[in-house]
Amino acid sequence: MLSTYALDSQVIQKGLCTGCGACQGLCPYWGSVRGRTVCYYDCERSDGRCQRFCPRMPTDLAALRQKAFPGETILPELGPYRALYLARAADGTVRAGAQHGGTVTALVELALREGVIDGALLSRARGTLEPAGEIVTDPAEVRRCSGSSFQIPPTLAALNCALQENTLRRIGVVGTPCKTLAVCKMRCDPLPENGNHAENIALVIGLFCGWGLDWDGMQALTERCTPSGAAHVDILPSKYHSMELTDGAGRVTPVDLDEVLPLVRPACRACADMTAEFADLSVGGGRSADGWDVDKQWNQIIVRTKRGEELLELAKRRGVLEFKDLPDTALDKLKRASLGKKRTAVRTLQEAEGGLGYLTPAADELRQLGLL
Amino acid sequence: MEWNMTLNEPGRVCLMQGNEAIVRGAVEAGIHFAASYPGSPSSQILGMLGKIARERNFYAQWATNEVCALEACIGTSLANARSICIVKQNGLLCTADALHCGAQHGVKGGLVIITSDDPSAHSSTNEFDSRFMAMSADLPMLEPTSMQEAKDMVPYAFELSERYRQMVIIRLTTRVCHGRGNVTLGELPETTRPLRPVGEWDRLVCVSYRHMPMLETLDSLQEAFEVCPYNHYSGPEQPKKLIVAGGTGRLYAQEALHRLGLEDEIGLLSLASLWPLPERRIVQYLQHAEEVLTLEEVDPFLERNLQAIAGSHRFTIRFAGRGDGALPRVGELTPDLVAEAVSALAGRPLPTRRDETQPPLLERDLNFCAGCPHRATFHILRRVLRREKNPGIVVGDIGCYIMSGQEAGHYAYQACNCMGSGINLAEGLGQLTAYGLDQKVVTMCGDSTFYHSILPGLINARYHDSNMLLLVLDNSATAMTGFQPHPGTGITAMGDDVPPMEIRPICEAMGCKVAEADPFQVEETESLMAELLSQPGLKVLILRQPCATLKSKSRRAKLRVYVDQDKCFGDGCGCDRFCSRVWGCPGNSWDFAKNKAVIDPVSCVGCGVCAKLCPAGAIVVEGGEEQ
Repeated sequence: MLSTYALDSQVIQKGLCTGCGACQGLCPYWGSVRGRTVCYYDCERSDGRCQRFCPRMPTDLAALRQKAFPGETILPELGPYRALYLARAADGTVRAGAQHGGTVTALVELALREGVIDGALLSRARGTLEPAGEIVTDPAEVRRCSGSSFQIPPTLAALNCALQENTLRRIGVVGTPCKTLAVCKMRCDPLPENGNHAENIALVIGLFCGWGLDWDGMQALTERCTPSGAAHVDILPSKYHSMELTDGAGRVTPVDLDEVLPLVRPACRACADMTAEFADLSVGGGRSADGWDVDKQWNQIIVRTKRGEELLELAKRRGVLEFKDLPDTALDKLKRASLGKKRTAVRTLQEAEGGLGYLTPAADELRQLGLL
Repeated sequence: MEWNMTLNEPGRVCLMQGNEAIVRGAVEAGIHFAASYPGSPSSQILGMLGKIARERNFYAQWATNEVCALEACIGTSLANARSICIVKQNGLLCTADALHCGAQHGVKGGLVIITSDDPSAHSSTNEFDSRFMAMSADLPMLEPTSMQEAKDMVPYAFELSERYRQMVIIRLTTRVCHGRGNVTLGELPETTRPLRPVGEWDRLVCVSYRHMPMLETLDSLQEAFEVCPYNHYSGPEQPKKLIVAGGTGRLYAQEALHRLGLEDEIGLLSLASLWPLPERRIVQYLQHAEEVLTLEEVDPFLERNLQAIAGSHRFTIRFAGRGDGALPRVGELTPDLVAEAVSALAGRPLPTRRDETQPPLLERDLNFCAGCPHRATFHILRRVLRREKNPGIVVGDIGCYIMSGQEAGHYAYQACNCMGSGINLAEGLGQLTAYGLDQKVVTMCGDSTFYHSILPGLINARYHDSNMLLLVLDNSATAMTGFQPHPGTGITAMGDDVPPMEIRPICEAMGCKVAEADPFQVEETESLMAELLSQPGLKVLILRQPCATLKSKSRRAKLRVYVDQDKCFGDGCGCDRFCSRVWGCPGNSWDFAKNKAVIDPVSCVGCGVCAKLCPAGAIVVEGGEEQ
């Protein structure tokens, strides 16, 4: 099947495209407009990087996991697992601009400073809108990319361009689960004739993700609720059923989640990964018995690989992160939340496709989790 | 070939194209005035008239459109001038109102309309049989079968026109326009006839009480056509089998009858006077016939009218032709098609030809020329519309850019009607965007089309503020028909330099929001087009870049363009032959041995756009003149 037709018919037309950008920055055929992946012309190749990298093309996740995480302990609900921490940036100024505890910002700054990586692929938004992928090489630039927009920019288009240039040799990638899966496919399943220098990807930091929002819908919502523009947006724990938009002056506008949910990208409802299982480290919002006001200043960190562990150790040694004890129930709660997203994905796919769609090759593990 | 046009050597035989023969006929008829809008297959006629107009002391004009041309001719007729108006079949349709009103008020000085039909629509959007316009307007129509007749028929038509005070239409078809044949020259008038002052009580007014006199004129013309010297008959005196041919059908029939050796058995009645039909002359041969084959271009016009005549005389005849399946219902007649039909009429097998094993020609899609600005325009339009959430609606129009409806323009448009219609189709769709049609509406026109028939539509769209974008593809030429001047070019048919009428101030004077861009500046123009499309209301974007063929005529040193073979991705992932396969310029070629792109130095005109689009940055542009 033609590459562009394969992606169009199996991913885009089915509403499965996450907008990650893995298919972009490679050729004149694919592009992106406000979160929508656009095919400008048909490519007549039967195999290509676009369809190999796409996180929504059918993938044998178990085989990929074995290739990418040899020897790691795999938790069925969470993927590769070494440890779980509750941590935050020790520097309060990092936390001030961050989504929650500033852990990712602190780790990326550290990795660039210490030469663990020579460039970082991050997303930068204007306010909370129109985020775009960006390669950052200066540690001082990292903070400008802090915070989440809850939109999914085609960040990986910028990664593809950087890899093609082949000037940065140790690139760190920060991204949502769909992006970390795509990056894993880039590294483990490159196109034989054109590896795209995927060996230059040195570190992957995943971000927990429930779902992303439609760009136009999010813009309309923001303009309606905070006409002066939002500087920060957050989704509260589920019991609050609320999104908060905070403007530049710190004024907080709560928005009922019922207004937000229709804006969720349909593709996100078919996503079975909450914790970015194909990363070295995965970072999300903190959850403890102390309540949201405290938790929102903290992050949970899943350490998945040796590389991730080494970076976290370095952060500890340099005092970049501060830690606090996790409640005993934390891991179970995380597993339950992760399982919940997998369950939604299976249900969504079964309703839409009468089968598992792109998750078909992962049917065995979904069955083992009791989801089938 | 202009020397043939003004050579005063009666009796000299010259090889002439049909279009040239018309020019010569017009000169021999001593015309005062000629006007036309270019249209294939008769585009050359006015161009040639323009070149000899001063020498022969008449006025020739490339009019803004066919209506202007015909109405100007009617005006000059009031002063007893001999005027000739040249149009193609679509152009004749444009003049319909003027034609019908003109038929009712008649003419004073002779007025001959040359209309060229394009069977098979070689250079048209559609076939149309202009004989129905003569029938509808009650106007006389003639059709020549040879170059000599084409020449001779023009003075004859002027004489008829002045004798019966009526316009006369001469119908040509592509093969007559473009074919060549021997023409014996006639005498040229020493001077053109003096004009007559228009008197206080001279009248050319269309009023309803002129209807009956118009019909009486047609009756008189029918009488005249009974002895029309261009109607021919050959064959037995009382033919049982009869061929009735109009136009080129006569020559095809002669050839077929000769091939089959049937000249003495089957009658061949060739009619030049197509409307009104000379009924008595026809009945003379029809009354004995048992079978009649009609040969004519486009529609079964003669066939149906012969059936009516036969019916009114209660003849029992089996008719064959385009109407009954003996010949194809569409497309041009060919000698082979006619031979088969004649063979079927005679009940004789067709002798096989000796040489029938010619290798077939390669089939190729129509494409824009190398370096054509339209290619860049439709690349940009494709990208801009692909970026829209809902696919946009594109309405085409008539000009070179009509090819954008095919692969050359990535199948750009969903609708294309007649010349000048794009703005109006888009205007309607644009209004619907306020009624739930959530799509961007784009239409296009060329510079020549803009003057020809866009202006009233643009006024309508502006006044009603339709939500749409008009792209004016200004390539400084009426390129499709051969670079005839138009009001934007600053030159006239007679070669005079005049102040050009710029498109932008015209649009601005209407109050349109106007922007200009160069389609070769691909990225900037894409951003501008996307920005315009996001704005509400009527927008006009003038895309200015001269026609590549025009430019290549004037450029001194060509740029050297080549593909760096080391950089080229070829058909690899990341390119897949983007330049030769998608961009599709004839200058971008493919080396099958190396699987790499190459530039064809013969086709390439050095526009350099492919170098901007190459994903590998492998196309290099060096030296030569700047764009």
